[in-house]
This record gives sequence, structure tokens and C-alpha cells, in this order.
Amino acid sequence: MPRWFQPALIVCALMFGLSPLVIANAPYESTMGLVQKIFYFHMPAAWMFLGASVVCGIASARFLATGDPRHDRLALAAGEMAVLFGLLTLVTGPLWARKAWGTWWVWDARITSSLVGWMIAWAYLILRQYGGPGSEKLAAGLALFGMANVPFIYVSVNYWRTIHPATTVVPRLPFSMGFPLLFCVAAFLLLMVLLIKLRVRVAEEQARLDAIYLSLEDHL
Amino acid sequence: MQTFISLSVAVLAVAAHAALVTASSDTPSRALLVAQAQPEQQEEFTPIDQLPPQEQLPAAPLLVGAYAFVLLMLFGYLFIVSRRLTVIQREVGRLEGELKRTGRT
Repeated sequence: MPRWFQPALIVCALMFGLSPLVIANAPYESTMGLVQKIFYFHMPAAWMFLGASVVCGIASARFLATGDPRHDRLALAAGEMAVLFGLLTLVTGPLWARKAWGTWWVWDARITSSLVGWMIAWAYLILRQYGGPGSEKLAAGLALFGMANVPFIYVSVNYWRTIHPATTVVPRLPFSMGFPLLFCVAAFLLLMVLLIKLRVRVAEEQARLDAIYLSLEDHL
Repeated sequence: MQTFISLSVAVLAVAAHAALVTASSDTPSRALLVAQAQPEQQEEFTPIDQLPPQEQLPAAPLLVGAYAFVLLMLFGYLFIVSRRLTVIQREVGRLEGELKRTGRT
């Protein structure tokens, strides 16, 4: 791993260690009270989910255009991140909604399109795993649909009727709520970059291992 | 894929725990019910605007559950991928050593 990896991992662990203190110091929201503080992990997880879907889509498009396996490895790593952060979003959201809205789940445009985006990311990984030879190109095509879904997820709360908070909430946050959010976004972003780097390295080593096995088979 | 199967098992475990915590906070225990005196028969229902505080769903288990789930999943994934990398690197090292020893490249 590169030299910066371990110091960055320590910084990331410190940020996650400090995050409960930063969040505890944030004020309560007037209508939702304590449970609104799930927002400080829910929102960064959702942004990382959308970001990872976009990275997966762009890397897949570049892989389809160039055939370079490095883009394919990045797409695979980002696809796993989309599943991971999508899961965090779809679990923390209902925990918040149960108290704030009185229900675990609402089939509105934002939540339903997020679920669809998450299932596309899952489909991408399943296709990669079980699709056989050539499946990486089919999966890359699927990743493009996953990326196309991202703007729809983001703006859906502004165009369809829903009780999900609108996109205007974040720009209008007071500093006392905006700082904890940005702190958590930075921690999540750093962790996602580190996880992608680590996952790409695993894919590179796996490719090296496969090449060695092929070379051994050729000699037998 | 094995990573996600492991993570999915963890998800189910955490979800089951959260459901139990919520359920236990929603309903009083059997011992408490037995200990209570039999309530008087109601002749009419009186509506109220808000639930009394002791009847409301507590936020703390949901908040703590959400944060615990996120941290468990993120660092669990980090641990699993790191371990996988170590195993692959060890295997690559072993095979490369074997190739060198037998004079093959």
C-alpha cells in the first residue's frame, strides 16, 4: 500500500472517534428532537452511495471505451462501495423515520429510487461474480444505468410529493448543524477513498495470483 | 461476494437486535402486567392530542442502533478486505517462491 495509506487511516479513525462528540454538541432539531441526529451519519452515507455509483459508472464507461483493466478494477471497488454505503443509507433512514414519521418505510420517489439504485449496484456485483467470462463488460453497461439513476434520486424530493426533507435543508443549515455534517462527510469521504484504494489493491493482487496460476498450468 | 454474505449476516443480526430493543421498549413486561391491579371498566373513550411521554417510542435506542450499525459495517468491511489482501499476498509470495525454486518464470 502507498505510504500515505496508514497515516490517512489513523486520521480517519480519529475522525470517526471524535464524531460522536461533535454530533453530541450539535443542537436538537425543533420538531424531531434527538432522533434527528441520525442525519449526521445518514446523509454522508447517502452522499457516498451516490458518489460511489457515479465513480462506478464513469470507470465502467472508460473501461468500455479503452478496455483497460485498471478502470474495471476501480469500477468493481466503487460498485462494492455503492452496495456498502447504500446499505448504511437504507438502514439508518428507516431507524430515523420510525420515530420522526411513525413508520419504517414510505414508498416515495426518493426512497424507492434509492432502493432501485442499491439493487442495481447489487446486480452489478452479482453479474461480476457469477456472469462467467465477458461478464465485466455486461456489468459495465449495468453500471451506466446505476449512474443515470443518481440525479433522479437527488432531485426526486423536489418534484414528487414526499415527507422526506428537501434538498434545500443542507444549504440552509446553521453553522452549529452544518459543521458536524461537514465533519462527518469528510470522515466518510476519507474512509471511502481508503476502502476503494484497498479494494483496488486486492483486485490487482488477485489478477497477479490468477496470472501465476495460469503460468503454472501452462508448464504442466 | 463472501464479504457481502458475511456483512448480510451481520445486518440481519443487528436488525433483529434493534427490533427486539424497540419491541421491548414498546410493550411492558409480563411481570409488570401481572403486578398491576386490574383496571376499572371504561364507559367512554377520551381523546388526547399527544401520547403521554411514557407511551412514546424512545429515540435513544434508534439513534445508538443507527450509529453502531454504521461503525460495525464500515470497520467490519475494512477488516475483512484487509484480511483478504493479506491472504492473497501470502499466496502470491508462496507461488512466486515456488516458481523461483523450480527454475520457472
